[in-house]
Amino acid sequence: MRHVIIGSSAAGISAAREIRRLREDAEIIMISRDGHVHSRCMLHKYISHERDVKGLDFTEDNFFETQRVEYIQNEVISVQEKEKCVVLRTGEEIPYDRLLIASGAQSFIPPVGDLRTAPNVCGMRDLSDAQTIDRMAESADNILVIGAGLVGMDAAYGLLQRGKRVTVLEMSHRILPVQLDAHSAEVYQREFESRGAIFYLGRRLEKTICGVGGQICRVVLDTGENIDCDMIIVAAGVRPAIDFLDNSGVEAGRGVLVDAGLQTNVKDIYAAGDVIGHSAIWPNAVKQGIVAARNMCGMSEKYTDTFNEKNMMNFFGIVTLYLGQICTRRDEVVMTEEDRNVYRRISIRDGKVTGILLQGDISNAGVWQYLIKNQIDISNIKENVFQISYADFFSVKADGEYRWNYQRQAAE
Amino acid sequence: MRRIMIDYEKCDGCKNCSIACMQAHREDEGTIYDLNLTDPRNESRNQILRVKDGTYRPLFCRHCKEPECVMTCMSGALRKDPETGLVTYDETRCAACFMCVMHCPYGTIKPSHSLQKVIKCDFCAEDGYEPNCVKSCPKKAIHVEEVEA
Ligand SMILES: Cc1cc2nc3c(=O)[nH]c(=O)nc-3n(C[C@H](O)[C@H](O)[C@H](O)COP(=O)(O)OP(=O)(O)OC[C@H]3O[C@@H](n4cnc5c(N)ncnc54)[C@H](O)[C@@H]3O)c2cc1C
Ligand code: SF4
Ligand code: SF4
Repeated sequence: MRHVIIGSSAAGISAAREIRRLREDAEIIMISRDGHVHSRCMLHKYISHERDVKGLDFTEDNFFETQRVEYIQNEVISVQEKEKCVVLRTGEEIPYDRLLIASGAQSFIPPVGDLRTAPNVCGMRDLSDAQTIDRMAESADNILVIGAGLVGMDAAYGLLQRGKRVTVLEMSHRILPVQLDAHSAEVYQREFESRGAIFYLGRRLEKTICGVGGQICRVVLDTGENIDCDMIIVAAGVRPAIDFLDNSGVEAGRGVLVDAGLQTNVKDIYAAGDVIGHSAIWPNAVKQGIVAARNMCGMSEKYTDTFNEKNMMNFFGIVTLYLGQICTRRDEVVMTEEDRNVYRRISIRDGKVTGILLQGDISNAGVWQYLIKNQIDISNIKENVFQISYADFFSVKADGEYRWNYQRQAAE
Repeated sequence: MRRIMIDYEKCDGCKNCSIACMQAHREDEGTIYDLNLTDPRNESRNQILRVKDGTYRPLFCRHCKEPECVMTCMSGALRKDPETGLVTYDETRCAACFMCVMHCPYGTIKPSHSLQKVIKCDFCAEDGYEPNCVKSCPKKAIHVEEVEA
């Protein structure tokens, strides 16, 4: 049986590994645009020169040889459902028995001014983007980053480490608006500012002005303010990479549509990772890759770990984790605790945690993800809720693995 | 695979295992008598916690069958070794993103004091995979057993 996988990132690689684990004799072909396998989550460390291309590789040494995966570096331009093959940019056709679409997402460049056409504008999604940014930054001093989400802040971090002048423009009134609350975001803003970053918050890009060679040299904001720049990094969100599925028969909305087992509307075609648009984080892409692989091998497993309100960041030694949503509705109890090692804030409704934010010491944080994800009642466990740990739900299975014991708690 | 099995009812909270873990992983040389218990670099990889009714719960990395930490590691630093079944950690690959800390449901992996890496149980690989915690437990509340995984 021949399994073809489009994409060599979180979802694609984990799927290949799982197919090989289950099927010693399967043929596995991976098609990807990437020249090197790389973890997108580490691109900022490439820009900052902390890591080289090899340092971004997240696979074990000789992955493709030991797992017997054939790698084709090429671009898929269409999928032919009837012929059961994919067509490459070079015209070649690759037949499949089972196909996994793990093509992820790509940067969205808003159609404002000349952002889409100017040669000194770049997204930050792939190693090739990071290499372009690295090259352009050689001769650029004033760099504008559009978007202060995680990717924008990653870009700003990498460039500040290179000693560049970085200006960050963000529509929202604070940085990391989706990822953090106002208090913890401000801590990062101050840190970035102390390292030279300039923030324009609560403003929009309205116009671009081009200079030599069609390069954008100045942008105009909705407030009338001007920012001069030598290059621009756009971190204004991503869109699932699905262009090659036009006319393929595979249904897509915002992302590829899949059932609970991650199969598309077309038999034998599966999809996993950012391309299905359910989440945009590494762990979920990996897990979806594993579930899709199992189903491609004839098992029937559902993808259930849909929780994706989880953010974790570590810039300049400031570590913050934010799980769920801290709400301040009337029926919500919000508690805060602060000492010199950590700032903690939690919100609880009807005995169940709705969100938690930890800045500083984040040990034990995974317990909170479990409690929020599974909506477990934590009433009457500890006087200080922040001291709750897995010990309060302790139970051991026959094989020595832990399991969660919370029925007892509820009954008490 | 071999796993550290836990009989929590036998644990009387003496924390010998935690001290043994600190001693086994300390960076400097020395005996247990000069181990600096307050130096955060000497943190234990296991924890003994006391619950409401006054009894104890030993929290040790399970080297899980489907380890959350491995599935979330975006640098490839954490792996499930197909031969030994152990969840291994390669410090040189780690990007200190702490995704693993956010995902281990039991809180048995955490950022190091330096925030440059994480610390988790390595099954005392350097001591021939004979965990020092197990050797030090006077109550036999933990022992190593071959299990299906
Ligand atoms: C700068 C940055 C920082 C991030 N930081 C974090 C973080 O800290 N934590 C976190 O959880 N997540 C983070 N993410 C998100 C995370 O990287 C993604 O969720 C994850 O990479 C998704 O994996 P994927 O396999 O679904 O797709 P992608 O990683 O998008 O990979 C898609 C693959 O498909 C290939 N491909 C696409 N189209 C084609 C085609 N037509 N033909 C051939 N090949 C094709 C690509 O080359 C690539 O190999 C970050 C992302 C970025 C960009
Ligand atoms: S660190 Fe946690 S998730 Fe990882 S193997 Fe140990 S117990 Fe399992
Ligand atoms: S902190 Fe290191 S070991 Fe943990 S997920 Fe990140 S890269 Fe992997």
